[in-house]
Amino acid sequence: MDRNDHQTHEGEQKPLDPGFSEAVICADCARSDSAALDIEPVDHMPIPIEAVNGFADGVPRVRRHDRKSFLKNGALGMAAVYGASKIDWTEAFEAAKAEAAEPGSVLVCLYLNGGFDGMQNFVPIANPDFGHYSTARPNVGRALGASAANQVGTTAMPGTGGRFGFANVGVSGVGNNEQTVGFDTIWGNGSGAGADMALWPAVNFFQNSSRSHFDSRDYWFRGTTDDNTETGWLGRWLDLYGSKTNPLQAVSLSSNLSKQIRTTRAPVSAVSNLNGVEFDVSNSGETDATEVMGAVSSVQAAKKNEQLNHAREAYNRTVRVARALKALENAPAGAGYPQSSLSTRLQLAATLIGAGLGTRIVTIDWGSFDNHANILNSMDPQLTTLSHALAAFQADLTARGVEAKVVTMVFTEFGRRVEQNDDGTDHGTAGPMMLMGSRVNGGLAGDWPGIAPAQRARRGDDLRAANDPRQIYAQVVSEWLGGDPNAVLPGRPAATARPIIG
Amino acid sequence: MSTRVLTGARRRRLRRPLASGPQKRMNKVMVDRMMWRTGFGPTDADRKRWIGRSVQDFVEALLTTPQGGLQGAAPYKQDREADPRTPLDPTEDDTDLVLEWCDRMIRLKNPFAERMAFFWHNHFATQRENVSPPQLMQQQIDLFRKYSDIAANPSAKFRDMLYEVGEGPAMLRFLNGERSTKNNPNENYGREICELFAVGILDRRGNVTYTETDIKELSRAFTGWEIEDDNPDQARAIFNEDRWDDTDKKVFGKTAAFKHRDAVDSVLAHWNHPFFLVTKLWNEFITVPPDKATVTDLIRTYKRGGTQIRPVLKKILTDPAMFANIEPDMIKPPIVYSVGMMRALRRGITSSQLSRALDEQGQEPYFPPTVAGWEGGLSWLNTNTALSRFDFANAVINDDNYEIKDPGSSESSTQAFTNAWNAVGKPWLAPKTRSALLFFSKNAAADNEDDRIARQRVLRTFMVGGPDGQVM
Repeated sequence: MDRNDHQTHEGEQKPLDPGFSEAVICADCARSDSAALDIEPVDHMPIPIEAVNGFADGVPRVRRHDRKSFLKNGALGMAAVYGASKIDWTEAFEAAKAEAAEPGSVLVCLYLNGGFDGMQNFVPIANPDFGHYSTARPNVGRALGASAANQVGTTAMPGTGGRFGFANVGVSGVGNNEQTVGFDTIWGNGSGAGADMALWPAVNFFQNSSRSHFDSRDYWFRGTTDDNTETGWLGRWLDLYGSKTNPLQAVSLSSNLSKQIRTTRAPVSAVSNLNGVEFDVSNSGETDATEVMGAVSSVQAAKKNEQLNHAREAYNRTVRVARALKALENAPAGAGYPQSSLSTRLQLAATLIGAGLGTRIVTIDWGSFDNHANILNSMDPQLTTLSHALAAFQADLTARGVEAKVVTMVFTEFGRRVEQNDDGTDHGTAGPMMLMGSRVNGGLAGDWPGIAPAQRARRGDDLRAANDPRQIYAQVVSEWLGGDPNAVLPGRPAATARPIIG
Repeated sequence: MSTRVLTGARRRRLRRPLASGPQKRMNKVMVDRMMWRTGFGPTDADRKRWIGRSVQDFVEALLTTPQGGLQGAAPYKQDREADPRTPLDPTEDDTDLVLEWCDRMIRLKNPFAERMAFFWHNHFATQRENVSPPQLMQQQIDLFRKYSDIAANPSAKFRDMLYEVGEGPAMLRFLNGERSTKNNPNENYGREICELFAVGILDRRGNVTYTETDIKELSRAFTGWEIEDDNPDQARAIFNEDRWDDTDKKVFGKTAAFKHRDAVDSVLAHWNHPFFLVTKLWNEFITVPPDKATVTDLIRTYKRGGTQIRPVLKKILTDPAMFANIEPDMIKPPIVYSVGMMRALRRGITSSQLSRALDEQGQEPYFPPTVAGWEGGLSWLNTNTALSRFDFANAVINDDNYEIKDPGSSESSTQAFTNAWNAVGKPWLAPKTRSALLFFSKNAAADNEDDRIARQRVLRTFMVGGPDGQVM
C-alpha cells in the first residue's frame, strides 16, 4: 500500500540523508515481525555514575587511554548503541555536555501493550453515552459515583473533561488503597489552563484498522500508513533535528530498540538495566576470563555462516563492554513509586533525564492489556499501578527540577470493542491517548464520537476514531520537540487547532 | 528414498558439502550435528555407533527407536545446604513444572520425541501464566508427546493433533475458547489458528491469505466448548451443543453449519497450509532455506501422506542441506544448549538452577513470551544472554557435586586441554579456538593442585560455555 507515499518520502529525505535509500527495504514487502523487532546495536557504551550525580567540572575531556580513571566510580549501566556508524563514547559525552548546557525538551513515550481499553478508565459518564455504555458492558462496566461492593465507581473529571469519569481504581482516596495521588491529581482541574494532563479519548489511524497487535503497533511506531517505511516517526525526527553523535539523545528502556526511534543515521540506544557485565569463572585463581574470552570470541567463521559469526560477535561485544567496566554500582533512584517494572523504568527515565546527558526521547513499553477475559482482575491492578507510577514520576521530575522540560505521552495500539464479551473485551478500533506534564495544556483535547450503536465504526462494533495519532504527533513536533511536522510525518492529516502546550 | 535431480542452483550451493546425500557415510562432525539437531547432543557411544554409517540409517533408527525409560537418579531440589532433598512437585510449583520436563529431556535415552514435543510447544505457544491449573499444561505437553513419539505412533497426523489441541482444555483456556458461545463468539483462537498455527498471514509471494470475515466465521464454528476441571488431574473439554452456533458459516469459500473439526478441516485445506507447515518444520532443523524443488517435494509428501508428520520429517532430516556448512551453523536454543550441557557433563537436576538459567537465557519452557512462541535464530544471543549462557556453564562446572580430580603435577598443558575436552564430551571447537585455549593452558599457573584444577575449570567452562559451544 501507499507505494507513492513511500517514494515521496524517500525523495524528500534523500537530499538531507544520502544513506536513506540504502536503509529502506523496498524490494521485500513481506511482513516480518522478527526482523522489525530486533536490529543489532553497533556498539555498547558505559554510562558513568558521575553522569548521574553531575560532573563536578562538566563532562571531563579524556583521552582514549585514560578511560579507566574516567570510570573510577563504575557505570550506571550500559547503552546498546544503534545507528549508521560506530560512535566513540568519549565523543558521545562531549556531545552530551554541549547539549546539556542548553537542555532541550524531552518526550517520554509510554506504550501500553496489548490494546488498552480506554472506556474502562476514561468512562463516558454523561448521557446518552452512559446509558449505551451500561447496556454494552453489564458485567465489566463502571458505576456512576462511589464504588459499590461488586462494581468499581467513577470520579468525574472536572472542567472540560466533565463528560468523562476516571475509574476509581486509578484515583486518589479511599477507593484506591488510600493513595494520595492518582489520575485525578495529575489531571488537575481539567480547565485546560495549568492542568497537567490532556486526553484524546478516541484515536487511531483507520476506522477499519487491522486487529492484529503487531500490525497496529507498527503503524503507531512508524507514524505512517506506508508499510515500507522502516524508520520510526521519532527516528525521522532524530535524523532531521537530532544529534549526530549522542546515542543517549533517544533511549529505549528495554533490551531491544523500539521501532519508534529507529533511525537511518542518528545514533540512538537501548538501556535494559543498571547492572554491568563481566565474564567470570569461579575459583579460577588469577585467570582473567574476560581476556581469554577476548581471544576465543575473535575467531572468524566462514562468511556465509551467519549464526556462528553472530554467536562469536555477541560474546566479543560483551567482552568489549566488560573491558570498559570493572566496578559497578546502582544509581540513586527516585522515591514514592509503587512496586512495578513500570516504576523501575520510569525511575531510570527520570535519572537519565535529570543527568543532563542530552536525552530528548525515552521510550517505555509496559503492561498486559490484552484483556479478552477477566478484565476487571487483570486490568484494574494495572490501572492502579499506572496512575501511581505516573504521579510518582511527575514528583520525581519535580524533585530533580526538570518537570518543565518533560512531556509524557501515553498510547496503545488500539482500543477495545464497545460491547463486552462475557467478562472481557475484544480488539477494537479507537483507543485513548494522553499527554502529561507541567507544560501540557490539559483537559479534554480530542473529539468524542459517541457510543450509540449508530455512532460506532465497523457496523456498530467499535468506538470510532475521532482523531488520527499523526495529528497529535505533529503537534508534539511543532510545539514541543521543534521541527517541521511535514518532514517527519509525510501524508499526515490536518492538525487540530487546540494547542497541546499551554 | 526417491532419487532427486539436483538443479543448477542446488549444485552450486552444495559445492563443498560434507556429504552429497543420505547414503553417504557420516563422520564425527555429521554424527554430532544430527544428534544435536534431533536431540541434545551426542555421547561417545552414539559416535561409536554411527560414524561410518549413513544419514538414512540414522534417521530410520531415530524414527523407529522408542523413547525408552528414564535413566539415572530422580531429580530433586536442594537450593541451600540446610535444605533437605525435596522431590519435585510440578503441580504445586511452576519451577518444578519446568524442571520436570527438563529432567525427561536429560534422562531419556532417545529424547527426539521430547525435542519434537518442544517444537510443538513453541508452535502452539500456550503460556502457563494464563492457564491454570497447571495440569492442563501438562496434559497439552503429553498431547504433543503423543504426536512426537514417531516410533510409537508412526502415522501421527498434524490434522489429528490440531483437532486435539483445539479441543484441549489448555488451549480452550488460553485463547478463551471456553468462553466462546453462539452469542459471544471469541475470535482469539480463530485468529491464531490462521495467523500462527496453520496458515500464516502472507504466502511466499506476499499475498494475504485470509480475511477478517474468515476469522469471524471460523470463530463461530469454534463455539460451544467448556472445560470440566473439578478434578484437575482428569480435566477434559466438553462440547455443549446449546452454546454452539448452529447456523451456516462460510469458511474459505465453503458454506455449512461447521463444527470444530469441520472448520479445522477447511483451515487445513487452505492452499497455504502445507507450505506454511513444511517450511516451519524445515527451519527447525536446517538453517539454509530450502530451494523451490525441495519445497514442492515436501508439500507433495505432506499432502500425499494426508498430513502425516513422519514422511516430511524423514525428507527434511535426510536432506543434504543439513550439511551445507562445514562448521556448525545453527545457534542452539537455550533449552538445547542447557539440557545438552547437563547430558554431556552427566549432571542431573539437584536444584532449581536450570529453570532460572533458562529464564535468564530467554527460554523457559511453559513460559513462551507470546502466543507466537520464541523468535529464535539470531535473537537468542545478545550481550545479556551471552553472559547468561557462560554463567550457566560456570555454575554447572562449579557445582559442589561436580568433582574435578587433580590430574597430577606431570600433566602438560596439552594434556590439560585434552583431559578437559574428554571430560565435557569432546564438543566441536574450531581450530583457532583450540589454539586460543591451548595458549591459555600453556600460560596458566599449574604449580599446585588448586592451580591445575582451576585450569581445568577454565578450560571446561570455555569449551561448553564459550561461543563455539553455542552452535550445533
